[in-house]
Amino acid sequence: MKRRTILGAGLAAALLAGAAPSAFAQADKPILIGVNTALQLQVGRDAVNAVKMAIDEINEKGGVLGRKLEMVTADEGEAATEGPKVGIAAVNKLTGDNKVDVLIGGYDSGVTLAELPHISRAKTIFLGIGSASPAIQAKVKENYDQYKYIFRVNPINSAKQAQGLLDFISGKLAGELGYKKISIIGENAKWVQDMVPMLKKGAIDAGLEVPMAEFFDPQTADFSPIFSKVKENGSQYLLVILSHAASDVFVKQWYDAKVPVPIGGIDVKSQDANFFERVGGKSISEVTTNFVLRAPLTPKTVPWWDKFVKLYGTPPVYTASGAYDAVYIYKEAVERAKTTKTDDVIKALEKTDYVGVRGRVVFDELHEVKDGPGYVNELFVQWQEGGKRVVVWPKELAAGNKMINPPWLQ
Amino acid sequence: MIEILVYGAVISAIYAMLAVGFTLIFGVARILNLAHGAFYALGAYTVYALTANLHVPLLVAAAIAVVGVGLFGVAVERVLVRPLRRSQLAVLMITLSVGLMVEQVLLLTFGSEARNVPSMVEGAYEILGADISAQRLLALAASIVILAGLWLFMQHTRLGSAILAISQDAEAARYMGIPSDRIYSIVMGISAGIAAAAGVLVAPFQTVIPSMGLLPLVKAFSIVIVGGLGSIPGSILGALLLGYTETLIAFEVSIEWSQIVSVAAVLLTLVLRPAGLLGKRAAF
Repeated sequence: MKRRTILGAGLAAALLAGAAPSAFAQADKPILIGVNTALQLQVGRDAVNAVKMAIDEINEKGGVLGRKLEMVTADEGEAATEGPKVGIAAVNKLTGDNKVDVLIGGYDSGVTLAELPHISRAKTIFLGIGSASPAIQAKVKENYDQYKYIFRVNPINSAKQAQGLLDFISGKLAGELGYKKISIIGENAKWVQDMVPMLKKGAIDAGLEVPMAEFFDPQTADFSPIFSKVKENGSQYLLVILSHAASDVFVKQWYDAKVPVPIGGIDVKSQDANFFERVGGKSISEVTTNFVLRAPLTPKTVPWWDKFVKLYGTPPVYTASGAYDAVYIYKEAVERAKTTKTDDVIKALEKTDYVGVRGRVVFDELHEVKDGPGYVNELFVQWQEGGKRVVVWPKELAAGNKMINPPWLQ
Repeated sequence: MIEILVYGAVISAIYAMLAVGFTLIFGVARILNLAHGAFYALGAYTVYALTANLHVPLLVAAAIAVVGVGLFGVAVERVLVRPLRRSQLAVLMITLSVGLMVEQVLLLTFGSEARNVPSMVEGAYEILGADISAQRLLALAASIVILAGLWLFMQHTRLGSAILAISQDAEAARYMGIPSDRIYSIVMGISAGIAAAAGVLVAPFQTVIPSMGLLPLVKAFSIVIVGGLGSIPGSILGALLLGYTETLIAFEVSIEWSQIVSVAAVLLTLVLRPAGLLGKRAAF
């Protein structure tokens, strides 16, 4: 019943026709980039658009090794309601039916993890641009030969994001603001389960009291009980980690009940540039991590951002920056390897050193994008008056910007 | 404690609105309406579409949504259900299909992302130390008014008496000259309208997504099983029971555990008292 974007019949027919044995055909055949993502969601649509944008740019300049790039998409569905089966079918369709040269995609760690055996069996390179669980890249270390195909371009993995959050907790919340007590809540999803215990321990080590560290179901529709508990336990800040859950309901209920505790953390939907407007301004003062903003993170960032907005009419979300960089990273690897042969391209990818729109991309031995000063950074961004987004942490990037409180706490 | 009282009341009131409509159409026309949740979702989306795209004032949009979905309910009964009403199984399949169809149409039209419906009233109140948003209080008040209005309508109008007569003995009522087919349509319209009203009232503080009707359908079904299928007082009692138990568990234990309440209540009821608390006979 779910719609799938199937460039299917037509494309398959074209491929079959093209597969007629001819030595010349190979050179003319486009390099196929398969995009597996949630096509219904902003994260998916933006990823597809970003890949398309990169492909068009590259094709205009003559393609890669004289071959054009071409995109095929497949829907991973909505992880919260459908689980991993739609994602697995998407990967199998792209690798089996379309025989893509590389996969770019993923947005939910649970789904991506379930897809990994299928990707590795198909011996297809996968450049992850959305899933954050460290368990994904850990596979590369566990069994390199089986999982060498798996790379993560974006985002910074959840363990490292947690490190960044810990830095925010100890440096900003405990350090600059002098808070003593915080609560932590997160949706019950794989990447959050990895993160919350780590955060709790780190916060306690930083001298904070953590009276509450709980999970809630991604389908939760009413957050009042949580807000009530947080208010009662005297927390000065509510650290929240959610991606698939209802961010809009969360901030609206928080704002409407004037919960006397500021909120912030990782709220993936609040990373959208139009989130503030979508919730009628009720995300005011919420802090969320982000990886890309319209700011000169690299010389490429602002021109890329503006072009994306011009082409698609909406500011890009985090998967778009990853997807755009991923196409170029693959292109350069193929050019260095002088072939699209998987094993050679993997070797070339491992030597990637590429300045993209988010920062400099270098992979570590787990094929994980390196982060920190000089690489890709996790930014803490606050919604302020009029829907303006202001970087409030890390200190060196915040440049003295002030973190505000919700209007009822001022 | 006060919070449980206040929040529980809001949830129970919304549940009661959903369950009363669901039980009404079953009690009167023996239609087990699996599209009930779709009416609720349609109410919310109609308000969204009218306010966000056409900039219709919120209250006007709410009124259009309730009436519009009511008429849609009438159309579903008249066109799809009536020809096959003799077969309970066919009715189940038809209403299930309508429900899924509505969900898919919403998905195609609006996409799967949550939509923002602005609050009808802004601000928050403090009631004995419990903070509660004005919109929730409005939802509570409006549902009490709607349910009281329904009760007055049933008890004090000719149409209401006709509906009650049919629910007690459809055949006898027909012999008395009550046009049962028309009554079924009207009741379906009322039931759909009340479900839409519930959707409209909660939309500002709940997630407006295409699949938003599923959980309310499950809740409505659970409540009427607990209260007794076809019994309006039973469904209100069931709504209070479920609403308060869920709230109590959400506040005192964890919100993760609150969703299991309705399922457990259904199992217990079916095993211990299949007719439900106030039902006259088992419906299954």
